[in-house]
Amino acid sequence: MKKASIETAVGIFVFIGILCVGYLTVKLGKMELLGKNYYSVQAQFESVAGLKVGASVEMAGVPIGKVEAISLDIERQIARVRMKIQSDVAITDDSIASVKTAGLIGDKYIKLSPGGSDLILKAGDTIIETESALDLEDLISKYVFGGV
Amino acid sequence: MNTSSYPMMPFTRLGQFAIARLRRMGRYALFFLQSFVRIFSWPLPVARILQQTYFIGMKSVSIICLTAVFTGMVLGLQGYYTLVKFGSEGVLGAAVALSLIREMGPVLTAIMLIGRAGSAMAAELGIMRISEQIDALETMDIDPLRFLVSPKLGAALISMPLLTAIFDVVGIIGGYLTGVLLLGINSGIYFARIQSSVEMADVTGGFVKSLVFAVVIVTVCCFKGFNTHEGSEYGAKGVSVSTTSAVVIASVLVLVTDYILTSLLL
Amino acid sequence: MKTPFIQFAGVTKAFNGHTVLQGIDLEIYQGEITTIIGKSGGGKSVLLKHIMGLLRPDAGRIVIDGQPLGQLKGRARRRLRRRFSYMFQDSALFDSMTVFENIALPIQERGRMKADEIEARVHARMRELDLGPIDNEYPSQLSGGMKKRVALARALVTDPEVVLFDEPTTGLDPVRKNSVHAMIAEYQQKLGFTAVLISHEIPDVFYFSQRIAMLHEGRIIFTGTPNDLQCLSDPVVHEFIQGFENPNGDSPEPVRQGSWESTFNAEMARMQHHKVSFALVVLTIENLAEILGQEDADAPGVAQRFADRIRAQLRVTDTCSLAGPNMVLLLLPFTNLSQAKMVCAKLGRTLNGQEIAGIQSCQEACMAISAGVAEVQGNGHPERTLAQALERKEIFYQFSVC
Repeated sequence: MKKASIETAVGIFVFIGILCVGYLTVKLGKMELLGKNYYSVQAQFESVAGLKVGASVEMAGVPIGKVEAISLDIERQIARVRMKIQSDVAITDDSIASVKTAGLIGDKYIKLSPGGSDLILKAGDTIIETESALDLEDLISKYVFGGV
Repeated sequence: MNTSSYPMMPFTRLGQFAIARLRRMGRYALFFLQSFVRIFSWPLPVARILQQTYFIGMKSVSIICLTAVFTGMVLGLQGYYTLVKFGSEGVLGAAVALSLIREMGPVLTAIMLIGRAGSAMAAELGIMRISEQIDALETMDIDPLRFLVSPKLGAALISMPLLTAIFDVVGIIGGYLTGVLLLGINSGIYFARIQSSVEMADVTGGFVKSLVFAVVIVTVCCFKGFNTHEGSEYGAKGVSVSTTSAVVIASVLVLVTDYILTSLLL
Repeated sequence: MKTPFIQFAGVTKAFNGHTVLQGIDLEIYQGEITTIIGKSGGGKSVLLKHIMGLLRPDAGRIVIDGQPLGQLKGRARRRLRRRFSYMFQDSALFDSMTVFENIALPIQERGRMKADEIEARVHARMRELDLGPIDNEYPSQLSGGMKKRVALARALVTDPEVVLFDEPTTGLDPVRKNSVHAMIAEYQQKLGFTAVLISHEIPDVFYFSQRIAMLHEGRIIFTGTPNDLQCLSDPVVHEFIQGFENPNGDSPEPVRQGSWESTFNAEMARMQHHKVSFALVVLTIENLAEILGQEDADAPGVAQRFADRIRAQLRVTDTCSLAGPNMVLLLLPFTNLSQAKMVCAKLGRTLNGQEIAGIQSCQEACMAISAGVAEVQGNGHPERTLAQALERKEIFYQFSVC
């Protein structure tokens, strides 16, 4: 085997391999290669039960970002969620962030409902109006025991 | 040994056994570390790594593809008949892709690589040992680890993730063949389910596994071959013994580390 | 008193409880060829591998160039090792690499040499060792002799100070054997390296070794010059060397007859090749006809017995052959005229009683034997030397056997 042909063969092998790696990471693993620009905003919820890092952030049913981090505000004992939003999407300061469930028992995601204000949120700002996760068990017990 | 220690005999035995095992593990670890460090010693052994990548990687592609396509097809078939009972055959794509990317891809690639390249490494080094070629290297002041083992290790570290990726993708295509073409699941749903279910963590987990397996395979197979002369048999018999035990030990070790890694990664 | 370059002191080595070396004391001097002889499986290779540091002694120490080998670490050890080359018994060529790559490997891996420089050097060595255009062949495609020469080229390509040869000629035909020996001797003289040789080729090694060490049952039982060894009367050593000459029988083979010329020319050529000075002695039974006239004795039988008796008295490196019905030729290496005379005198004394028993049919006859001696130093023409010896017949010694 000549040296040059070995090099070519290895080149082909590495190329095919990297294509597959690319498919797995970028397409399936949803890695952002050519990094779309994002900016972060925060929101505080009373409860984010079931919400996970990486869950999508949607507006009118269209994904516009992801949950970046979830932490506990130790003083006020509420959940603080940081999300990254595509930079071409503007969010007004009176938008409402709510934790929703896809279907009856699906994954939790955050839904942003636009408001009517002129003030646009900048990176690092906080969405004030929030709705916590709907607790199905809570609801059912209320219905059964006549709380509604 | 005096007679007064007789009641302690089982413990002595156990202690001896444990120490011997530990010493052996230490030798494996040293063998790996020394070979690994020497990959980066100047001048970099690029040409030999390239040659080994050709042998370990390129030459394994066909066998990996063959294994992968049938694995994917079987997963598609089995998955379909299990899922159809719950009326959720739509998640077949997710089932196939996740089991491939998380488990089957890295493990089966590793097993195939042991059979194809690992046995060859052990036999090659074993023959070099018994025909004094390794001693000859030493007399020439050429580090046998650097010359023989490091390129294999480097090549395996390059090849394994790539082969695993090829295995995953081809396996997903195999699942597509049975699931979509044979059993009639909607092709859009098949791929959409794969996309929505596979997370980045699954993919990186698979690659971490494949890298660890590469280390295990090369270390065990090269160690066995390199130390053929320490075995119980001599000559050609010694080479066959070390090759066999290299393949067996590497395979078992791959499965054991797979369990440990999975429990750590999840 | 020269200081030894390599010194073994009480080196002991055992494998799996089987002691191979037990207290080796050996000194090897710079610029000399030292040959280690001994039985197969007697630990000669093990000894050599200790010098290279491939094996470590269980006890005792090895000092090389004033540095104790056991205490050297890292860089100093590598530096020392680079001054050595080792030629393995089975060549140990890398069978997945071509001949060129094999020979180039030692200098390639040391770095700091350009590709064309390496190529020039490898080809120079290949030319010197008579290796044709086999650059791109693999060791498995070569004959045994070729492999040996490739291995030798690989050992010499680094211009080492010390070369260790582990049985460089085993498995070669006599012609190749001679050429490998000649090559070692020639290179040793040209490059001045120190050589340590393991060999079974007795007496060849006596011609070019400056020092012989004999390994027997894990000990060095003799060290000294080849001459010392041959003059040694120790029966163990003698039996040992005789054993090498004819490993199958316990009595020396009968003196050859007939093809004496070719044997003689080959021996002379060999000695001249090694530039060994030697003496040629022609012994003639002057009154053979007289003896034969007595009774029914046959001429070749008399001469044959005569030659056999002489042979029993000679050193191992000496050659003795029947050159005619009444003529016996002796070839004595490392011998000058006066020494040759002494040999003849000794023959006269010792043969006296024995000959009678040998030739029973002519008890009353006296054998008149004349000796002609010639000395050869350096290059001499075989035939001319023979003529010279014949000319000087009767001049030096005459003895009778009654």
